[in-house]
Amino acid sequence: MEKLASLIIIIGTVLWFVSVLFLGGSWQWQMFAALILTVGIFTAHFWEELSEGRNKKTPKDDN
Amino acid sequence: MARERISQADEWQAWAQRYDIEGGTRTFESGLTVKVFFGALFVGLLMMPGSIYLSYVSGQSGAAAAPWVAVILFTELARRSFTTARRQELYMLLSLTGAAVGSGMQYRSFIWYAYFVNTPQAVSYEIADKIPAWVVPAGDSVGVLSRSLLHPDWLLPIGIYLLTKLLGTLRFVSGQYILFRFTADLERLPFPMAPITAQGATALAETTGKQETWRWQVFSIGSMAGLLWGFIYIGVPALTGVMMSTPIQILKIPWIDFTQSIEGFAPTGVFALRTDFSQMLIGFVLPFPVVMSEFVTAMLSQFFVNPHILYRNEILHQWHPGLDVRAVGLFNGLDFYRSYDMGKNFSLGLVGMAASIPMIFKLRGTKKEAGQRGSLATPPNRGDFPLWLMGILWLIGMAGFVWLIHWMVPNFPLSFLLGFAFLYTPINSYITARTFGVLGRDLFEIPYLHEITFILSRYEEIDIWFAPLPDEDYGAGTQGWRVLELTGTTFTSNLAATLLIMPILIISGILVQHFIWQIAPIPSAQYPFVQMMWPINATHECLMKTSLRDGNSEMLQAIRGDYVAAGFTSSLAIYGMLWVFKYPSMWFYGIIGGIGADPGSMVARLLGAVIGRFYMIKRFGLKRWFMFNPVLAAGFACGVGLVGMGTVAIALVSKAVIVKPF
Repeated sequence: MEKLASLIIIIGTVLWFVSVLFLGGSWQWQMFAALILTVGIFTAHFWEELSEGRNKKTPKDDN
Repeated sequence: MARERISQADEWQAWAQRYDIEGGTRTFESGLTVKVFFGALFVGLLMMPGSIYLSYVSGQSGAAAAPWVAVILFTELARRSFTTARRQELYMLLSLTGAAVGSGMQYRSFIWYAYFVNTPQAVSYEIADKIPAWVVPAGDSVGVLSRSLLHPDWLLPIGIYLLTKLLGTLRFVSGQYILFRFTADLERLPFPMAPITAQGATALAETTGKQETWRWQVFSIGSMAGLLWGFIYIGVPALTGVMMSTPIQILKIPWIDFTQSIEGFAPTGVFALRTDFSQMLIGFVLPFPVVMSEFVTAMLSQFFVNPHILYRNEILHQWHPGLDVRAVGLFNGLDFYRSYDMGKNFSLGLVGMAASIPMIFKLRGTKKEAGQRGSLATPPNRGDFPLWLMGILWLIGMAGFVWLIHWMVPNFPLSFLLGFAFLYTPINSYITARTFGVLGRDLFEIPYLHEITFILSRYEEIDIWFAPLPDEDYGAGTQGWRVLELTGTTFTSNLAATLLIMPILIISGILVQHFIWQIAPIPSAQYPFVQMMWPINATHECLMKTSLRDGNSEMLQAIRGDYVAAGFTSSLAIYGMLWVFKYPSMWFYGIIGGIGADPGSMVARLLGAVIGRFYMIKRFGLKRWFMFNPVLAAGFACGVGLVGMGTVAIALVSKAVIVKPF
């Protein structure tokens, strides 16, 4: 599911770049890209929170 | 080596835990005593005039310092009387003094509108004669021209204000309490940032005991640094202003503008070095990734994106050589950033929901494992109130508020007011209370909510822009109840103190604001900050308040769908890509904050962050440095406050004597 979320987010980002560079930056295409990104981000967070701590790591104290 | 993924909640909790250096108490005592009440009142009222004056002179009220000054005086008195001060008393003192000092600022809007109603901007935008009488008397009225808040002309605006304050107290106390009970008692959310607030009172309460700890030493270092800085930045201009027509500013207030110097190689870029180096302390405290990414993004914005992408493609098209930071900021905003920021803010709302909704699912799923979670039983002697009583008080407060707004703007659709009051406010407050409970900050905000409402309501009169709307958020306030719990202060004593001090502060606030207005017109040369900022603020306010007029305003023209979409989508893309490459989500908030911002305003903060990260942490160790931070910042604020209040008091007395004819 992590890879699926990453893939959706990458597709959304590429589509946004395409909409700005080649499709005249129309708001409709940009919002379509936003919709894909939204799905990707929600998928990412649901995976994070509902994976029962399998991926739980403690942040390092280096930043 | 591949980065390890850390969930946002874990990441932020880890940051919060750095500051959480001791557990909370569970025995409750009243913090309200006669000596605390009069101590707070004395120090608060003593500092209130200086605080108001400072806000007009330098843009900062210094109100944050006053509570610490009160607490230090209190603890010193206690030590010399061979007695001790309790943590509860000191927290109550902090709280009450803060309220007392801040009480003068609540009337600032009267002074602002008394200025605004006679500005050329308000006249040219045809607003001046349409400002309702419940906001400010007419521009040619005696109350405005004679600069007197005590004139009968001000009776209606001040009366309306007092009524809204009374109803607001009912709503906020009850609303916050109900949410606290649900999020802290029922769901047992951790409120990770609450212990930080409790630290200051603990630090100083210890000094009245038999043994002093490191806290007092760190507080003293911070205070001395604050005294030095306060003398340079506030003391010298205030004292020389007494003797000379133009005050001496060792460092120009509020910034040194380099915008015209960079326009040759970075047209449409801004760089105004903010001279308030006390921001370094903020840099010490804030997470390093946020400060660094914010600064780098702001530099890229002003030196690459603005001149080489947006200007070359004629997106930023109103710029011309010779403009200062304020004008460039205004034009850039109208051309692009106002729309872009709107989309950017929407993305913050969405990202917040994406982070918090799965958390709700997770918390509900692990409900049974949490032991006490799921119970509304209260700890003994905490001083709780019946939930039904608080519910009724909230209903009375909100119903009264809606009625008042309906009386002020009778033609505005009542359904919108009811929707805001009884639907939006509870949902919005609950979401914020949850995010404060888990992450210690607000994430959810719907930008331009009022504008959207006004468009949907088809209401075209300008008076609605001046009316308060019942779209409230009690979520942030739930943390205050948690701090009370951690310091072991009974809820009833806190409520009693608030109600006792309120009438005194209402009256004294008006009197002090009136007196300061009498000294000199605001804005004028005596008040350099407002003289610099208020004219541009008046233009902004006119643009905002006429934005929906005739459907053809400058504000509406400034909002372009494609730019809003760009702000929204690009922000989501940044957030998403940071997640994909496993970078901390802190970076996102830094990057978002830095887009389109002036890097000059961040230099001091960056300096503080770099010194903290690369010197202080190595010198003291991470844990100790994060223990020192809040106490050091409190000491610094206290030092600045002391010198600021002292010099401002001299200036006030001097000007008061000179201004009186006989």
